[in-house]
Amino acid sequence: MHHQFRTAQGAVEVTLAKEGEVWHLGEHQATVERDGRLLIQLASGVSGFATVAKVGDSWWIHFEGHTFCLERIEPGASQSGDEGGLTAPMPGKVLDVLVEVGQLVEAGQTLMVLEAMKMEHRILASTSGQVTGIHFTVGEQVQQGSILLEMSEYED
Amino acid sequence: MVSKVLVANRGEIACRILRACKEAGLASVAIYAANDAKSLFVELADQAILLEGDSITDTYLNQAQILEIATTTGADALHPGFGFLSERADFARAVSQAGIQWIGPSPNAIEKMGDKMSARITMRNAGVPVIPGEEIETEDEEEALIAIEQASTRVGYPLLLKASSGGGGKGMRAVDRPEDLLDAARSARREALASFGDGRVYLERLLTGSKHVEIQILADRHGRTIHLGERECSVQRRHQKVFEEAPCSTMTEEIRSAMGKAAVAAAMAVNYEGAGTVEFLLAPTGEFFFLEMNTRIQVEHPVTEMITGVDIVREQLRIAAGEPMSCGELHLRGHAIEVRLYAEDAANNFLPAIGPLTVFQPPEGPGIRLDTGVRQGDEVTPNYDPMLAKLIVWAPSRDEALQRMRRSLDEFVVLGTVTNLRFLRELCDVTDVIEGTTDTTMIDRLWPEGWAPSLPHEFEDGALMAAAVAESAGLHHQSSVSTSDASGHSGPVSPFITLKRRYP
Repeated sequence: MHHQFRTAQGAVEVTLAKEGEVWHLGEHQATVERDGRLLIQLASGVSGFATVAKVGDSWWIHFEGHTFCLERIEPGASQSGDEGGLTAPMPGKVLDVLVEVGQLVEAGQTLMVLEAMKMEHRILASTSGQVTGIHFTVGEQVQQGSILLEMSEYED
Repeated sequence: MVSKVLVANRGEIACRILRACKEAGLASVAIYAANDAKSLFVELADQAILLEGDSITDTYLNQAQILEIATTTGADALHPGFGFLSERADFARAVSQAGIQWIGPSPNAIEKMGDKMSARITMRNAGVPVIPGEEIETEDEEEALIAIEQASTRVGYPLLLKASSGGGGKGMRAVDRPEDLLDAARSARREALASFGDGRVYLERLLTGSKHVEIQILADRHGRTIHLGERECSVQRRHQKVFEEAPCSTMTEEIRSAMGKAAVAAAMAVNYEGAGTVEFLLAPTGEFFFLEMNTRIQVEHPVTEMITGVDIVREQLRIAAGEPMSCGELHLRGHAIEVRLYAEDAANNFLPAIGPLTVFQPPEGPGIRLDTGVRQGDEVTPNYDPMLAKLIVWAPSRDEALQRMRRSLDEFVVLGTVTNLRFLRELCDVTDVIEGTTDTTMIDRLWPEGWAPSLPHEFEDGALMAAAVAESAGLHHQSSVSTSDASGHSGPVSPFITLKRRYP
């Protein structure tokens, strides 16, 4: 069986085989336990239980003291690209907007200040460029993932 | 007499206090905002009253509304917890004037010690060394900025800007260079104003290489003021504590005794009553400097409880009722460590995280204590502080406590929301932590570019395999909070559906 997951390193395709009750991924093996956990036996000899839970499209996995979140890519789904927008890392309120549309900014310059959970967070320019759009004003609430500003990179 | 306690707080500390009330045979009242209706603390109270309003200002910071609820529910005592209104002298005064016992020190003591500026002056007058620093008394923005700039040249760099009525790292900024001062000052003032309703700040010299060591105080109305030894809370990120222990690993009997005496003197100088904490910076030379006094229960109080056997919250209730404290002569026993579980992405500059707690399985076994404000199935929202719970371990020695903490953190499973569990686990393997040579700059020093987990490649393989097998095998047995309505299904009950398992 084929599955695709999005990880920090990009999309990964996993191809499983099943023999009786045992799942195989290359040299690694797994079995489903009665309580819904998985017993994972890695090729290296390391073995441990994985606790799993699905939230939305993502599988959350606890294995060997580490926690992973792997988003499942539905077969045939298109990859949504990064449009050069600067998105809100968490929900919050806009405290300050420090730039204007058309302004040239340096990489690392503060563009906007958000407040979430009573702490301030600065939205910084990831590259040097020109601000082409500002979508929120001071006092407005933003949702996680909202595009706050848009920028175009310098053309050298 | 105290018979019915209103707990003017939420989350983990509200749970702690409500459980203490239950054990003491006292009736309890919780107050909660609409977005807390399903929170654990609401269910632990005998009576729970909804606060009208949406913002924190309208709810947990709304003195008039809380006081009215206290009066109408017939509460005869009020416990403020920490944060929120816990260090507001005006609120303590209003509560007392309404004939309700404030569980904490007098408004006068809060004013003198809770306000960081006058606390420094009080301590200086009492002969306790304070860090070089200056108070900025003015509330006017422009005047304050000018005063801050002038004071900075006398205090010297690096320096720390702190909110006068602050705590928890809010309204606090470290400034390394003069050119960063004004930006930092504006932002610190803004954050202080938003969090505490008071934008005043003070500047102090940032002493590097020092340990944050604090003394727990208890004082009753029968003339007894004692200290319960120290806690070390040097491991901080963004000036917020994450790893606390008792006793301090480098403490000597001599320094403990001197620090304890200074703390008791400070408390007695303001006729202190109840539980309080006097914080010091302990320099590598053994010199110590007064930092501030917290006139309330503190987040990290459990480590002191574990090594002294004193139930500090229970003593607070006893003292407020006018009884003498119950603890006799104290003997420190073993070692306790506390870590704070935050919903935050440690690998992404500790950014707060939200989401469902689809799985929340704390560790179990000897020497483990969990003080939590959440349980499995809860939702972490952006409305409040991201601290979810505190994991505390006790063992006969520091080494064993650290081993127990590693084991506990490995067992702790939280799925659905990003937490700092792995960060806490890896802290236990840091040489400075193992050797007890932690100081307040440790996290910034160890991970100047930010922390990232050290993750063996094969564990990622294991996780991918787990996800793929779970998907193939249809292991959807853990429904997420947002889709949990599915449990309220109608129609004929299938044993397979109620077991939430599917068979091939």
